[in-house]
Amino acid sequence: MVVVGGVEPPDAPPPEILHRSRVRLWSSLREVWHSRELVLTLSQRDFLVRYKQAELGIAWAVVTPLVLVGVFSVVFKRVVNVDTHGAPYVLFSYVGLLPWTFFSGALSQASNTLLTNRALLNRVRLPREVFAVSTVLVAGIDTAISTVILGGLFVVYTFMPHATSIWIPALLAVQILFTMAVALFASVAVVYLRDLRLTIPIVLQFGLFATPVAWGLEKVPRGFLPYYSALNPLGPVIDGYRRTILEGRAPDVMPFTVAAVSSVVMVLGAYWLFKRLEPGIADVA
Amino acid sequence: MSPEPVGRVVADRIWKRFRADQPTRDLRDAYRRIRHRQSRGDWRWVLRDVSIDLEPGGALALIGANGSGKSTMLKLLAGVMDPYAGSIHLEGRAGALIEVRAGIHQDLTGRENIFLSGSLLGLPRRLVAERFDEMVHFADLEDAIDRQTKYYSTGMQMRLGFAVAAFLEPDVLLVDEVLAVGDATFQQRCLDRIRQVLAGGTTLLFVSHDLAAVEAMCTEAIWLRDGVVRARGTSHDVLGEYRKWVDESATGDSRVPGVLELVEAGVADGSGGPYPRTNEALDLTVTVRGDVKREATVLLGISEGTASPTLLVKRAVSITPGETEARCRIERLPLPRGRYYLWAGVFERNRDLLPWQPATAFDVIGPNLDWIPAGIVRLAPVHVESSWEISPP
Repeated sequence: MVVVGGVEPPDAPPPEILHRSRVRLWSSLREVWHSRELVLTLSQRDFLVRYKQAELGIAWAVVTPLVLVGVFSVVFKRVVNVDTHGAPYVLFSYVGLLPWTFFSGALSQASNTLLTNRALLNRVRLPREVFAVSTVLVAGIDTAISTVILGGLFVVYTFMPHATSIWIPALLAVQILFTMAVALFASVAVVYLRDLRLTIPIVLQFGLFATPVAWGLEKVPRGFLPYYSALNPLGPVIDGYRRTILEGRAPDVMPFTVAAVSSVVMVLGAYWLFKRLEPGIADVA
Repeated sequence: MSPEPVGRVVADRIWKRFRADQPTRDLRDAYRRIRHRQSRGDWRWVLRDVSIDLEPGGALALIGANGSGKSTMLKLLAGVMDPYAGSIHLEGRAGALIEVRAGIHQDLTGRENIFLSGSLLGLPRRLVAERFDEMVHFADLEDAIDRQTKYYSTGMQMRLGFAVAAFLEPDVLLVDEVLAVGDATFQQRCLDRIRQVLAGGTTLLFVSHDLAAVEAMCTEAIWLRDGVVRARGTSHDVLGEYRKWVDESATGDSRVPGVLELVEAGVADGSGGPYPRTNEALDLTVTVRGDVKREATVLLGISEGTASPTLLVKRAVSITPGETEARCRIERLPLPRGRYYLWAGVFERNRDLLPWQPATAFDVIGPNLDWIPAGIVRLAPVHVESSWEISPP
C-alpha cells in the first residue's frame, strides 16, 4: 500500500505543538555525571594530542609558569618592589601563577572546544557541556604538573608551607567554580559570536595584570575591594593561597566570602545560559 | 539484545527551519544590523509536518533528493538537534551511525580512536576493551592499529569508524549514508553486519541515496520532497513512485533537441500488444526527425531507475532528412516484472545527434524476482532461465 501526496501542510505549525526546551539544571547535572567516562576520555584525548604535537611534551606545562616567574622576578621585584610579607618573591608569584594558568588555560581551550568538536556535535547526542568540563579538567592536569615544581621550589628555598594550608580545598573550590563559569560562558558565546574568540587573548593579557598574580591584593583600595572580589574572584583566591600557605594566616574573610558567593552565582548563571543556548548549537556551529 | 524487539520510533508532526542566510555571526554583522535596523535573513523550512511511526523490529527508509530534509530528520531523531515544533519519542537504546568518520581524531592512533569512539557512542570502556580484537579484525586494521590515523587512507578511516559502531547493539539503529564510502567488499561486510543486528530485533531507520540498498534492507519507506512527505508505504511501492518521479522530471528536463528531435518512442510485445512479458519478445520503436543526412548509430537502453541501463542495444543507421524510424526486437526479454524506462540516443562518432535521454516508460508482466535475503544488494535485476543440478540429489 502506498499513500502518495496527501494533504499539503499549512504554512506554519500550529502554535500548540511548538517545541519548548526547558532548562533543568539539576537533571542536566545528573546527565553530566552519567557522562563522566566520556569527560575523562575527551580530556585524555586533548591532553595526549597536545603533548604529542609538541617536541618537549609534558615539559611545556612547567616551562610556561617558570618563564613568567622569571619575568616577574626581574620586573616586579626589582622595579615595582612588591611586599611579599617575608616570603621569597619567586614563591609569592608562583603561588599566584598556578591559579592564573589554570584559569587562562581553561578559558583559551574552552573558547575553541565547541567549534573544534563541531563534527561530534552533529553526530552524537551528549550534553554539550562535557566539552567545557573536559577543558577545565585538562587545565587542571596541567596545573597539577606545574604544582610539582612548586614543591621543588619549597625545597630550594627551604620554605615550609604553614599549617593553615588546610584552607586549600575551600580556595580550590572557589577557583574551580569561577573557572568553570567562565569556561561555560566562553564556549557557548563563541559559537554565537565568532569574534569573541579573537578577543580572548586580549582579555587574558589584561586579566594577567588585573589579577594579583605579580602583585598583592592589598594594592586594591579597601572600599573598592568588595566589587573587585565579586568581579574577579581569582583575586581573593590567590590572596588566600598566599596567606594560608606562605604566611600562616586564614583567608581575608570579606573578599573571600564575596568571591565564593559570586562564583556560585556566576557558575549557576553561566550554566543556565549554556543550557538555554545549547539547543541552537548544532544549528549554528 | 532482547529477542523481543523493543525499539520504537515515533515522531509526531515535526517541523524544522533554518536561517536562509549563513548562520555564523560576527560583530560587524551585528553592528550593521543594529545600525540599519535590518532583520536577519528569512527562515527556510527544512521539514514540514513530518510524522513517523515505526513499530519495534521494523525497518524504515527515508528517501528523497539532496536537500529534501532526510538527514535533518535523522539528526532530530538522534537528538542532535531539536525540532521547531512537534514531538519525538524513542523507546529503547538508540544508536546512530551518522558520518562515522567524524569522531576520528587525526593525531591519535587507531587504538586510541577506538576507545574514544566507543565512549562517544556510549559504550563502556570495559566493553570496548573486551571486544577490541574483534573490532580491529572487522576493520581489517591489525597492522595499522598503533599508527596515527592521519596516516590512514580514507577507506581505512571509514572502516575504523564503522568498526566501533558495528558493535553497538542498540534497540533502534539510525543510519545515515554510512556506506557511501569504502570499497565494495567492505560495504557488503557492513550490510551483513547491519543485517545481523536487524535479525536480532533491532529497529532500523535508514537514510540513503542507494535505492538498491534501501530495497534490500527496509520493508517500509517514506519519500520526502522539499521537507514534505510525498509518499509513504511499503518500500517497494514508495521506491516505485520515487523512481517514476525522478524519471519524469529527468525526461522533462533533458528533452534538449540536438540536431535530431525525438518524435516518438514505443514499446510493444511481440504481437503489438502493450504489455511485454518476461522471456518473450519485445519490440522497441524510436522515430527521430531532422534535416540532415548522416551515418549514425542508434543506441537504445533499458533501465530500472535513472542509473545506468541494465541492457543496451545499438545499430548503425543512415539518417535521412525527414523522419527516420528504428525498430528493434529483443527475442527473449531478460527482465523480471516491474516498471522500466526506455532510453534513446543517436550518435555520430563522438557527437550527440540526439542526446541520451529517457524516452518512455513501460511495464513488464512476468514472475516476481526471486526472493532474496535482505542485505544482498540487487545491482543487475536481470531475469535468466537457469537449470540446476544438485549433488548429492
